[in-house]
Amino acid sequence: MRSLVARTTIAAVLGVAASLASAHHSFAMFDQARQVTIVGKVSEVQWTNPHVWVFLDGAPAGGKKERWGVEFTSKVHLTRRGFTPDMVKVGDNVEFTINPYRDGKSGGRFVAVKRASGEYYCDVGQAAQVFCQGGKK
Amino acid sequence: MKIRILALATLAATLCTGALLAQQARKPRAVNPANAEKVSYAELDKLPDWRGIWQPNIGRVGGDQPMLLGKYKKRYEEERAKVAANPQYEIPEKTNNCEPPGMPTMMTMPYSLEFVFAPGKIVVNQEAEMMVRHIFTDGRPLPKDDEIDPNYFGYSVGHWEGDTLVVDTVGTREGQRLGEAGITNSDKLKINERIYLDKDNKNLLHLDYTFTDPQVLAQPWHRTHTFRRDRTWEILEYVCDENNRHPVDANGQTHAAF
Repeated sequence: MRSLVARTTIAAVLGVAASLASAHHSFAMFDQARQVTIVGKVSEVQWTNPHVWVFLDGAPAGGKKERWGVEFTSKVHLTRRGFTPDMVKVGDNVEFTINPYRDGKSGGRFVAVKRASGEYYCDVGQAAQVFCQGGKK
Repeated sequence: MKIRILALATLAATLCTGALLAQQARKPRAVNPANAEKVSYAELDKLPDWRGIWQPNIGRVGGDQPMLLGKYKKRYEEERAKVAANPQYEIPEKTNNCEPPGMPTMMTMPYSLEFVFAPGKIVVNQEAEMMVRHIFTDGRPLPKDDEIDPNYFGYSVGHWEGDTLVVDTVGTREGQRLGEAGITNSDKLKINERIYLDKDNKNLLHLDYTFTDPQVLAQPWHRTHTFRRDRTWEILEYVCDENNRHPVDANGQTHAAF
């Protein structure tokens, strides 16, 4: 129940900002019609511009374990949306939901993360909001 | 010993000649009012309150459609067709790889703007890629055509019409994005901006663009943008080269680098 409250609240706060635009590239390389959830352990957090990156060793359901890269928006946008560099830490067990690369590379664009505590952090945008407000499949 | 003296004399002669040439090339330069020893800061009290940072209302762009000409029309149509045919295609732009877009795109990035008023000049900070632009309001003219060395942000002069800042810009580099991806400007682009607070909502800022480019556009193109004020934040640091893992090649293919 706690996690449900947390994700609803965070989603409401983040939902105010509607921007998905990037300053320097489009998101054409990600398949935004698909969502894949990767279960694994955080191996690296890069709290940087123009994009924040989290790497994890994990696997999608039925897949083999490998290194996955998750691209967020910029450090600037995340800071204003209430994310912090310790949103996830190296060694955390997490579930990342992403829009995967179209070309099959093991990575994608951040949609949401379920942290070890059971709380969710969610991106802005309709798909992420639907996911985080309980529309998760 | 003799050789060394000769070498020194030659070196001295060379340096003197260099200095002389450099001096001849320099023209006396005027001091513009914005940089005068004495300026009036009291003048700034008369200006409207644009303090805080301004966040763009993304996707809410008004105005009319561009009437593109010749090769610019052809390229736009070709790029749009490529996007439609291939969802992974990205229209190649220099900014894909962290080069700043300059004007006019600088003003409408999905990041925050800040206006800093000083006597005789306004400095505009764009958070994305830490871009800076100077608008001179001290009455200096725009450079003449033969004085322009095209650059990313061009040359901007402005004046106040009531509480509206009116800015004219020339001298942006050819080939930068004009309005949207797939459209670029020629070196004949002139940009007019009218920037003002909404009359009913002081936390809403309007930017009305008019692009005039006789090589690209059959008629002036109007585009309007709005921004929301936030007084609680400052501009944050954004260095695009810090960790860009998505270089785009000349064929519009993105390569994830990790």
